[in-house]
Amino acid sequence: MERLRKGLLDFLGFALVSILLVLSGCGGGSKSKTLYIFNWTYYTPDSVIQKFEKEYGVKVVYDTFASNEEMFAKLKAGGSNYDITFPSGDYVSIMIKEGMLEKIDKSKLKNYGNIDPAVLALCDFDPGNQYSIPYYMGAAGVAVNKTKVQNYDKSWSIFARKDLANRMIMLDDMREVMGDALKYLGYSVNTVDQKQIDEARDLINNVWKPNLLKFDAEAFAKSFAAGEVWVAQGYAESIFAEVDKANWKDVDFFIPKEGGPSYLDSMVILKGSKNKDLALKFIDFIHRPEIYAEFCDYFGFPSTANVPARALKKGESWYRPEDLLNCELKKDVGADLEKYNAAWQAIRVGK
Amino acid sequence: MKKQVGLYYSLPQIMWLLVFFAAPLGIIIAYSFLKKGLYGGVEPQFSLEAYTAMANPNILIVTWRTLKMSVIATILTLLIALPCGYSIARSQNQAMRLFLVIVPFWTNFLVRIYAWIAILGNEGFLNDIIRALHLRSESVQFLYNQTAVILVLVYMYLPYAILPLFSTIDKFDFTLLDAARDLGASRFQSYVRILLPNIKSGLVTAGLFTFVPIFGAYAVPLLIGGKDSYMLGNIIADQLTKTRNWPLASSISMTVTILTTGLVFLIAMRKPREQKQVFDADPGLITPVASGGR
Repeated sequence: MERLRKGLLDFLGFALVSILLVLSGCGGGSKSKTLYIFNWTYYTPDSVIQKFEKEYGVKVVYDTFASNEEMFAKLKAGGSNYDITFPSGDYVSIMIKEGMLEKIDKSKLKNYGNIDPAVLALCDFDPGNQYSIPYYMGAAGVAVNKTKVQNYDKSWSIFARKDLANRMIMLDDMREVMGDALKYLGYSVNTVDQKQIDEARDLINNVWKPNLLKFDAEAFAKSFAAGEVWVAQGYAESIFAEVDKANWKDVDFFIPKEGGPSYLDSMVILKGSKNKDLALKFIDFIHRPEIYAEFCDYFGFPSTANVPARALKKGESWYRPEDLLNCELKKDVGADLEKYNAAWQAIRVGK
Repeated sequence: MKKQVGLYYSLPQIMWLLVFFAAPLGIIIAYSFLKKGLYGGVEPQFSLEAYTAMANPNILIVTWRTLKMSVIATILTLLIALPCGYSIARSQNQAMRLFLVIVPFWTNFLVRIYAWIAILGNEGFLNDIIRALHLRSESVQFLYNQTAVILVLVYMYLPYAILPLFSTIDKFDFTLLDAARDLGASRFQSYVRILLPNIKSGLVTAGLFTFVPIFGAYAVPLLIGGKDSYMLGNIIADQLTKTRNWPLASSISMTVTILTTGLVFLIAMRKPREQKQVFDADPGLITPVASGGR
């Protein structure tokens, strides 16, 4: 989940915390079991982890990654101590193919019934959810600084506005930005049709890019919070983590009406896990309505995957589950990824 | 007998070089000649694809851009470092001044990059001052272009140029300058015709110390650069982390390494003809491999 990148700095901070956690885990005499979680930066609140530790009398080691590719490469290279990780849909299918996942015994999950059937129906990367249990479904959107920009259309066409030139920013993320353009043109975000991909490339290159300050997946939220840019394509949780709470009223976050690429991250148990039972308990714990609501409230997420949690949520969400209706899940396009690479490289290299 | 003992002494050094230099380099070379795996990594199958893929015009554009920016940044760094090194060498309290040059190293380089963003940003300190003085009502766009990248690169690598220049100038016999003046040279002439030729080796070392890491710059163009500042270091990183093409990342790294090592050799080969030995005496002049990490 690239959207959770909050700059290299935050990553360093988290790495330090992880190291401390590991150290404290070692010092604890370790009679209790330890659950090793490999997760996106800022994707499970500390309070939830602490509750789990307390209830089951275990230690949790929470290490983080910033992209699916990074997670996959580390696990492939033999980082096999982890019990649970959180791949996006395309990587669930890849990891199943590569035999990296353990089958999940759903009969042990009391809270499986809380998961929205509509979300389960989308899991065609793992039919029948034999290996993966949905964690969260969401999408990147557009944040607008309302004190600077008053009239705008809730559409990707906002990036074509010349009057906002150099005050707009998009993610340095191939599938996300290409997906936005493809959706705007009425195509699928998973198309492998060369003509459609070329069309999307030209739209970005000739119409959007001239107005963009830059492509940035590291510091886009910081730039937005600092008033550097007024319109930012990106992830709500990153944006609102950077913007001062007092200024939240000045920020509008929307998922453009054409829709865009959405993501569905799942919890999976890795082959060779020494704590399969504990991992199952963690997955079940996450889908307890009150815990899921706590997780969503912490990040301002709508409760997309868990139905009963919707009634328990106290805080506001930056977007509604319905906003995702026109969005489309990103899928693994296999060898056709080359077509996207070529298009994106042409965009990034510039003049 | 003695020679065998010597081998034991150098064993740690040899092991160090093998484990942390030769082995990684070997892996990069091997990967660059293999077929790319669909999901990252490599297939154990010989392939020249990674090298033919480099003929891609996009990569050539980026290589040319990187070369251009590195040369400009290196020249600017030397132009600033030369008077700095000179003034430190002639100063009464060298230790204090050298200390001040080294102080920024104590702060993580990412923090220093973000500091520049805070200074140069649209809502940054510099623009605050400009607005307060009523020079411009709108903020000036300093960041996110090649100029900003070059500025921050010069800032980052300035100490690497100042230190070798200082150590060379410090050994220079300043009475030669007085002699030149006595013999009718102007102040400027005495610097250009007497000082510069005598500190050539320091200039070369300083130039290499800045050019080589700048050529592999990654974080500065990523954070300070804009749409026009995509450099070779960024391409290499993207091949690894985004497009899952490890062989291409390796082949580009190889090319960068060969180019920079070639440059070092070319310059080192010319050395014997010169009298000064400072360049040879500089320890640890090893070409940083590929992207150099920054």
